[in-house]
Amino acid sequence: MNTLLKIENLHASVGEKEILRGIDLEIKAGEVHAIMGPNGSGKSTLSAVLAGRDTFTVTEGSVLYEGRDLLALSPEERSWAGLFLGFQYPVEIPGVSNVNFMKAAVNEQRKQRGLEPLSAAQFLKLMREKMATVEMDSSFSGRGVNVGFSGGEKKRNEIFQMAMLEPRLAILDETDSGLDVDALRIVAGGVNRLKRPDNAFIVITHYQRLLDYIVPDVIHVLYKGRIIKTAGKELALEIEQKGYDWLIQESE
Amino acid sequence: MELQIITNPEGQVRIALEANASAEYLVLQDGTGASARSCDTEYDISLAEGASLKMVFLSLDGPLLRNKLRVSLQGHDAVCDLAGLCLADGSQQMAYDVLMTHQVSQCRSTQLFKNIVGGSAVTHFDGLIHVVPDAQKTEAYQANHNLLASDTARAYTRPQLEIYADDVKCSHGATIGRLNPDELFYLRSRGIPQAEARLLQQLAFCHEVLEKISSAEWSEKMQALVEEKLRKLSVSC
Repeated sequence: MNTLLKIENLHASVGEKEILRGIDLEIKAGEVHAIMGPNGSGKSTLSAVLAGRDTFTVTEGSVLYEGRDLLALSPEERSWAGLFLGFQYPVEIPGVSNVNFMKAAVNEQRKQRGLEPLSAAQFLKLMREKMATVEMDSSFSGRGVNVGFSGGEKKRNEIFQMAMLEPRLAILDETDSGLDVDALRIVAGGVNRLKRPDNAFIVITHYQRLLDYIVPDVIHVLYKGRIIKTAGKELALEIEQKGYDWLIQESE
Repeated sequence: MELQIITNPEGQVRIALEANASAEYLVLQDGTGASARSCDTEYDISLAEGASLKMVFLSLDGPLLRNKLRVSLQGHDAVCDLAGLCLADGSQQMAYDVLMTHQVSQCRSTQLFKNIVGGSAVTHFDGLIHVVPDAQKTEAYQANHNLLASDTARAYTRPQLEIYADDVKCSHGATIGRLNPDELFYLRSRGIPQAEARLLQQLAFCHEVLEKISSAEWSEKMQALVEEKLRKLSVSC
């Protein structure tokens, strides 16, 4: 299997504070990796660094994505290369409708691949199809991006966007937080539908319950900016029962 | 009620609405046809009882655009809704000076003025809501929001209230800021290039004013003009 993402000794800081302190991670096509860990361990920082957020400074290490230096790319170039970040806190953008937002995004992706923009009819058809997969009402398309959406609706909107963009590597940052069981099932269904042998997922979560729906191949536990444990899917259950303390003690 | 268009007005404009009359105006300053020219315009506006006026101003083209609005709400239950959008770049200067006087009780006024300032352009907003002692049950709101698109752009704002009645609902607010970096990152993370993402954000900022135009046809036309100007603005700074 070919390697999609290879992270080596990644260090990142915000201001003077070092948050990631040497991450190594390799993800191959077709895999689902879960990243768990207590609050403040650096999970969201890792996803933000991979997506190109400039509030974090990479001080050491490298990230190769399909053999390219990911860190040299702008956020939009990363998206064109097939990277997708599902935000923990999706941003509200009043005045930009969901439909115009997605039209701009999809057509830019097509432009980058040398394809013609979709016609209005083709685009609306695609949008309707993908909205249906996450059970989003079509009335959401005319509304401002995430404006007035409930927590669950925002997360479903993230999965909808992912379905529209069909990424090679999707990072879902606590997509399950704040979801009830029904929304969790819808979100997980959206992810499972997109799974293919040539793409991969990084699922960041606090809870084992999401991993009942999206079954990972590997689970990593992040603590104080380092991966302190890597194991199979059974680790999630152990963490659910025993917490993180035993892993932290083991690593220290 | 039909939308009336005023293009590149100069000198004095007088609007007097009689009792229960209603009117909507779109005032466009885009210099087209008369080349980019300076404009100094004074609006003298009065509303009688139950009258209702909506005015949307778009200031796009012209080296120096000055608009002085004097609105007098003279009859009960008069409603005045003012909105304006300045897109200034290069060395343009644009100014709005608004005096909204509530002369009698139970009138309602709103002001929403937004500016995007690029290049080394300068905008001024000087707004005063004046409520006389007898104008109880007044509702008067004023907002001025400025978006700076370059390091050399300047926006001045002076929101003011003078209230002599004690049973009123009034507010004013002013902001000067830049595009929200969280929004920008969100848009870029979906593959929208930085320049295009900024344009979307700027259009969103303008949307609140443009959506006030009740004619969908004119609202779209103005949206296109605004987009054209914003594209120039983003290139120049």
